[in-house]
Amino acid sequence: MSGAGFLARRLLQGLIVLWIVTTATFVLIHLAPGGPSILADPKLSPVERRAIEERLGLDRPLPAQYLAWHRNLLRGDLGQSFLYQTPAGLTVVERVPNTLLLAGLALAVSLALAVPLGVRAGRRPGGPADRVLDLASLAALSLPTFWFGIVLIILFAALWHLLPAGGMTTPGLEDSLGDRLRHLVLPVAVLALPITAELLRYVRSGVAAAAHAPHVPAARAKGLTEGQVSRRHLLRNALLPLVTVVGLQAPILVGGAAITETVFSWPGMGRLGVEAALGRDYPVVMAITVTVAAAIILVNVMLDLLYRWIDPRVRIE
Amino acid sequence: MRPAYGAAAVALLTLAGCAGTDAAPADTLRLALINDPILNPVLAPDVGSVLVNKVIFPGLVRPDEQLRPEPDLATSWTISPDGKTYTFSLRRGVKWHDGVPFSSRDVQFTFERILDPKSGSLLWSDFATIERVEAPDSFTVRFVLSAPFASFLALLGYNAGIIPEHAFAGKPILDNTEFNRGKPIGTGPFRVVAAVPGSSLTLEADPDYYGPKPRLARIVFKLVPDANVQVAALRAGELDLVTLEPASLPGVEGTPGLTIRRATVPQHYYLALNQRLPLFKSPQVRRALDLAVNREAIIEGVLKGAADLPVGTIPVALGDWFADSLPRAATDTAEAGRLLAQAGWRRSADGTMRNSKGDPFRFTIRVDKGNPSREQTALALQQDFKAIGLEVSIETVEFAALVRDDLQPGRYDAILIWWTTPPDPDQYSYYASGQINNNVAYANATADSLLLAGRRETDPAHRRAIYHAFQALEREDPPVLVLYYPREIQAMTRRLTGLPRLGIRDALRHSETFSLGPR
Amino acid sequence: MRRLTALAPAGLLTVLLLFAWAGPLIRRTDPDALDLRHGTGAASAAHPLGTDESGRDVLARLMVGGRVSLAVGTLATAVALVLGTLVGGVAGWRAGWVDGVLMRATDAAMAVPVLFVALAVLSLFGSRVPLLIGIIGVTSWMGPARLVRAEVAALRQAEFVMAAQALGRAGPGIFLRHLLPQLVPLLSVAASVGVSYAILTESALSFLGLGVQPPRASWGNMLTGAQASLYTAPRLAIWPGVMILLTTLACNTLGQALRRRHAP
Repeated sequence: MSGAGFLARRLLQGLIVLWIVTTATFVLIHLAPGGPSILADPKLSPVERRAIEERLGLDRPLPAQYLAWHRNLLRGDLGQSFLYQTPAGLTVVERVPNTLLLAGLALAVSLALAVPLGVRAGRRPGGPADRVLDLASLAALSLPTFWFGIVLIILFAALWHLLPAGGMTTPGLEDSLGDRLRHLVLPVAVLALPITAELLRYVRSGVAAAAHAPHVPAARAKGLTEGQVSRRHLLRNALLPLVTVVGLQAPILVGGAAITETVFSWPGMGRLGVEAALGRDYPVVMAITVTVAAAIILVNVMLDLLYRWIDPRVRIE
Repeated sequence: MRPAYGAAAVALLTLAGCAGTDAAPADTLRLALINDPILNPVLAPDVGSVLVNKVIFPGLVRPDEQLRPEPDLATSWTISPDGKTYTFSLRRGVKWHDGVPFSSRDVQFTFERILDPKSGSLLWSDFATIERVEAPDSFTVRFVLSAPFASFLALLGYNAGIIPEHAFAGKPILDNTEFNRGKPIGTGPFRVVAAVPGSSLTLEADPDYYGPKPRLARIVFKLVPDANVQVAALRAGELDLVTLEPASLPGVEGTPGLTIRRATVPQHYYLALNQRLPLFKSPQVRRALDLAVNREAIIEGVLKGAADLPVGTIPVALGDWFADSLPRAATDTAEAGRLLAQAGWRRSADGTMRNSKGDPFRFTIRVDKGNPSREQTALALQQDFKAIGLEVSIETVEFAALVRDDLQPGRYDAILIWWTTPPDPDQYSYYASGQINNNVAYANATADSLLLAGRRETDPAHRRAIYHAFQALEREDPPVLVLYYPREIQAMTRRLTGLPRLGIRDALRHSETFSLGPR
Repeated sequence: MRRLTALAPAGLLTVLLLFAWAGPLIRRTDPDALDLRHGTGAASAAHPLGTDESGRDVLARLMVGGRVSLAVGTLATAVALVLGTLVGGVAGWRAGWVDGVLMRATDAAMAVPVLFVALAVLSLFGSRVPLLIGIIGVTSWMGPARLVRAEVAALRQAEFVMAAQALGRAGPGIFLRHLLPQLVPLLSVAASVGVSYAILTESALSFLGLGVQPPRASWGNMLTGAQASLYTAPRLAIWPGVMILLTTLACNTLGQALRRRHAP
């Protein structure tokens, strides 16, 4: 199949997936009991309640609300946030760059650490480097994110006064690069740690499998340096699972940095999602679902293209 | 270690090294919010928005340190003998933050919006008694009420900030996103200069403010959603004042540079007993349950002392209105047993309380999930009731669902919840029979007449006598099991002075008196 | 030597399971009994690990909390692995349109923001333990599925599979006899990561108020509850943390030992 045809088909499939995902989310979020938190004020009188329901369209039957949502979506209107009185689409889009900055940096740091360390560990399975890294990565994977984040904040901000406790900038210092970087250190560390550990384990596992293969000792015997052996024989074998795992991390990074963002008061999409979901801010929840799902679908399509490029066997379909 | 890692490590250490110096000037007060506020008092009486809006949007009056109304945008007022007409003289020379002069038209506009639920107003029920608002001249406003309403002044000073007519120019107030989210125009001592969604809101002292010149240069509201991180940021010197959950108190006490205050606030926490059920109809049963609760243990153990023992539903924060002469609630399990016996409940051989038919005394307490103090309070209640032979189970439910699906339709046995009231003793809508907020279906004819009389009486001394009588009645026929009056724990830097001794919401109506000493 | 490396983590897991299931039978301290006046107490003869903020016995809560956390961890992982192997195996083996449909379904499942699903479902039906297991399992099978599918798709072309096909063996037979053993290293890595992921997910949901509901203990909600006491009683956060660490450590070492045994 040609690359372009493959791409077109995958994108079309992606649209269908997107529709299924948004429909499922719409149904689930509307079914959940309690309803929007603005209706949960115990003091609200029936008059006010009715006025709010009418204004938000919540008095209409669910199928009608569902159709209205689609109609408005086609016009590019994702509705008005219940909690913030702002256009939902804009509210989400405002937060996207912040999440991408945090997630992108975390992924970059993870790859920069995990690939060389994983190769080093896998080259000599059972060796001292392997054992140390094995234990370290296990420990990293065992840390609950929120807990690790709060411990870091207490140590670095509350007790040692070295780094800020959260936020993206110090208000009034928005133009200072140093200030921004200082705000990034802790959240990036917390977000990158488990990803590094997981990537490292997969790289190591792929490299170790290749290290057992007969051609590697042969390559060493031929007099290739360890670096050459790693690059030519070991890393390539680890690449396919690595791409898969990076793909698996993408949704966690795009949508699921929520906990890190909440702990570090980071104005990202994940935190907005938590607030919206807990407050049942339907328009914002739907806007985030569309954004996150579209992003994940795109990442998946790109990964499949990558697969075809890395491993020609996959192309036989 | 490879050189690249070494360089990265050095860079990180350098970044950490250039820390310590928080760049905020000494005269900037930094407070925490948990999410983005809506900068419009008519649309947003929620906890977060209220904090900001009280600074930006003054009302006609404001509560003083005893929560009594004092002049603000109005300089004086008269009340007609029938208690139905309030006439206010407005302050002259007041300017909106954009320089436009303030006038009676703005007050009229604000209340027209408030009284139209379609506008998005969430203050309608506070002011539903207003029949009409008149502006006979630029500096006089007259409210005509449909019935005498003694808490009217207190409500004017509560959440009803005045908004500018010219900023909306005929547009629905809901649609002015620019105003509501980033560029609000008020008449308060501070005006908004920067709003970064999800991050912060910066306010600057307004040179044209009509009151005394604000002593702070700026107030910055930072968005910090996690309570434990707020505490850490306070200790790190990134926030200047934080209100604490009791559980966080031990982690802040004794920190150098910080001071802690426990302010009384107009709230009462209670166990709602659903009197639609035969189980809780009898006053004796409610009295018995009331006597079974060990409140001291809850206040000391769960709330770390940050609460007061109750009398009735009017909290101690309301000053004179609170009946200090009456005995506070106490524990007496023997008396509880006697009262239950009068109501037909006997202890059976297995220790459980049963009625003549042999049915056990069994009910479920629901509590909103996610708040450790309330969950622990529910557990303590369960243990106290078990001690007198009642079988109690606990369910945690999400707050919104608890209110909408259980409390308001009246489908529950017991719910642990609270009321935050305006600074006034009027509780007609909560505890008079058939009223909209009477979720427990309490019905007592004497209470009804007392609450109605209290709402209509404008003479303070007479009104006080009425509410003291109501509190005495509550000891005999408790509408709810009042558990405690919480105190708001305010942890703040020692440099902060000029804060009135009020809960933070009301204190922020006096932000021009706040001041920060040198670092 | 090989047997020994598998024995140590298996032993540790047995100890953890015994601690959680047999512990409360031997040491009959009520994990839910409050003692509000003696909250956050230090270790004593009556409370070997001290008491929490509400005066409850920490050791007793660690035991019953362990039951919940271990059940959530292992059962949710089992759900995820079975689903993942099934979907990934069939997709990789059958290729063509079946592969297309299954992989798009996997994409769809991955594109759903897990948090909202968890939030909606858990508040719809309450945060009950079987539901938590289901949710964590059903939202984490996609990883194993994609890994299995990639491996099976590659192995399908391998000589021994071709040979088996030439001998006329049926697909499922070949899958079970020849491919599944090849997948064990991959699956044991996935399982080891999965158990810790599931336990950590429960604790993250606890942080958002959606995990196992207090007063019922889980290691996750004990950790969440200890946040406020970190300055004054860090041990309240350390104990459940240590339990989580020991569990993941044991699972992972066991997984590695298994992988080594199956290595060619």
